[in-house]
Amino acid sequence: MAEAKERRILYENLDVPGIHTLDVYRKHGGYASLEKVFAIPPDDHITLVKDSGLRGRGGAGFSTGMKWTLMNRQIEPRYLCCNADESEPGTFSNRYILQNKPHMLIEGIIACCWALGIHTAYVYCRGEFTLAKKRLDAAILEAYAAGILGESVAGSGFALDVYTHSGAGAYICGEETGLIESLEGKRGQPRNKPPFPAVQGLFMKPTCVQNVETLSNLPFIVNNGLDWYKGMGSVYTDVPRTAGDPVNTGTKLYCVSGHVEKPGVYEVELGITAQDLIDMASGVRGGNRVKAVIPGGSSAPVLTPYELDCPLDFTSLGLAKSMLGSGGIIVMDETVCTVSALLNLMEFYAHESCGQCTPCRSGTPWVRDITKRIEAGHAKPGDIEQLIDVANQIANVDTFTWNTICVFGIAVSWPAVSFARKFRPEFEAHILNGECTVLPLEEAITPPEQNYAYPRPQVTVVQQPKWH
Amino acid sequence: MPFEFTPERRAHLDDLLTHYPTKRAATLPALHLAQAQNGYISQDVMEHVAELLDLSPAQVQDVVTFYPMFFQEPVGKHIIRVCKTLPCMLCDCKKVLDHLRESLEVEVEGTTADGNFTLLEVECLAACDQAPVMMVDEDLYGNLTPEKIDEILGGITGKAAPAKAERRHGRG
Ligand code: SF4
Ligand code: FES
Repeated sequence: MAEAKERRILYENLDVPGIHTLDVYRKHGGYASLEKVFAIPPDDHITLVKDSGLRGRGGAGFSTGMKWTLMNRQIEPRYLCCNADESEPGTFSNRYILQNKPHMLIEGIIACCWALGIHTAYVYCRGEFTLAKKRLDAAILEAYAAGILGESVAGSGFALDVYTHSGAGAYICGEETGLIESLEGKRGQPRNKPPFPAVQGLFMKPTCVQNVETLSNLPFIVNNGLDWYKGMGSVYTDVPRTAGDPVNTGTKLYCVSGHVEKPGVYEVELGITAQDLIDMASGVRGGNRVKAVIPGGSSAPVLTPYELDCPLDFTSLGLAKSMLGSGGIIVMDETVCTVSALLNLMEFYAHESCGQCTPCRSGTPWVRDITKRIEAGHAKPGDIEQLIDVANQIANVDTFTWNTICVFGIAVSWPAVSFARKFRPEFEAHILNGECTVLPLEEAITPPEQNYAYPRPQVTVVQQPKWH
Repeated sequence: MPFEFTPERRAHLDDLLTHYPTKRAATLPALHLAQAQNGYISQDVMEHVAELLDLSPAQVQDVVTFYPMFFQEPVGKHIIRVCKTLPCMLCDCKKVLDHLRESLEVEVEGTTADGNFTLLEVECLAACDQAPVMMVDEDLYGNLTPEKIDEILGGITGKAAPAKAERRHGRG
């Protein structure tokens, strides 16, 4: 395969000094979409975004245009909440958009608000994002002063106010209804759905919640058109609709962290394989071999070296029983103890459960404790089954069903069950030896033929990613 | 003396209130402002914020206890947050924490004897590409080594600003 290359669209000019200011941003083509966007009637705009195949970059991968058609556009006022609460472990691409290109986000917010007839947008920013918030606040002031926000956006007669709002360190506020509760001044505890935010969201009004990266794509779609956007990424022809929308258009900001030589954000067309992405990050540190890769932020089921040929897009990862999620790719080399890695994640989830649902509130610390027992060598035979069983009671990964209010439950059980199944020999060795035992790579992994994620269906990609 | 916002902060809050259709929505911003002034969220602070936002103190407390960034007890002049989540763990964040514990002679969640630093372990700071990572007050530092940490902390104690010294609420 030809060597994979970056395709910078959102991250283009990211390192230009001063690009966070209006002047420099404009000099590099910023706000060009303002000339076009108000010429597109809202309904056509929604169709455009739907046809582009753009899927939400925050985690769920739902079609953005489809989400917009669900919005109740009869009720006033309506709100946009931009989710800038980036707290999924392994994910850090929004930070750089907010810090370096806040005007690109504002440009995207304008496009979204025009399409949905929204006049008030809130950017819910992570409390820890101090520089990012400062830069965004400054950019918003600049935009007001230049007539890009306010009573009449760029002379269009369309009014739009944008405000920032700081979170205070709770992961669950990244869930869309948790975010809404938090914005309203309450604990960030997710709401039962339905009603969906598109019908009854912020302040009980129709609300669109959209991730920073998703919104940032909009100016480029408006500017360069449908064909240009659909020319990037991969499309699958023979994938049933139930496996998700087989369209993976555009680029993705892949955040690569862990044991690679050059961690960082790589913007590539959707469909790059995990191996190619690792190569782009200059390979695994010290020439070691890969042991495990978490492909979509810490909530996604882990991949083994047998799965590194899997394209990192919504469709393929879905078929591999994992997910693209937020695009946080965590790479672990052969020195890693997979039980300790899982324990670290389970400590995270036990800390972040909002506590509303019993399976999640009690189950998550339980899973953590079993993992801890195994890691320390105090476990007994049967503990691996119990770990999988308890995790599956929070949310069942095989049937993809859960009785909790939000998807946090599946975010817990996905890593738990996938680690325990795919690295079962290493978990067993811990129990057998009564101490932490890192097995050699070949022995640590459940062979693919016994792995629940196999056999992976073979599918045809019609539009192979083109590496320019 | 009961807590009250300084006139500047009060004006800032009044401006923030215009952003939302309900007063309650300003709870988090108001608490951030209060913590910046007082160092932590005391009972007084909660009562004052509740009064300004037409809420009961219990409603404010409900919020305060949910969010880890709000301190319910006095803390040091500077807050050190060390990330401990998986990507940072893979890049040896334990070493960072150990170095801080030893050189500052303080345990996690504790405050140094001189009241200068409170040491906290936190979950992913969304800067995993720079792991291991810590924040000191509002500033993020990545690719940490013991030497780098000493340099950063030295720089901070050397230039401890009098304005910040006012919010000293050390436990020591
Ligand atoms: S699943 Fe967990 S995080 Fe989600 S609402 Fe229930 S308790 Fe809260
Ligand atoms: S894991 Fe430490 S910053 Fe993300």
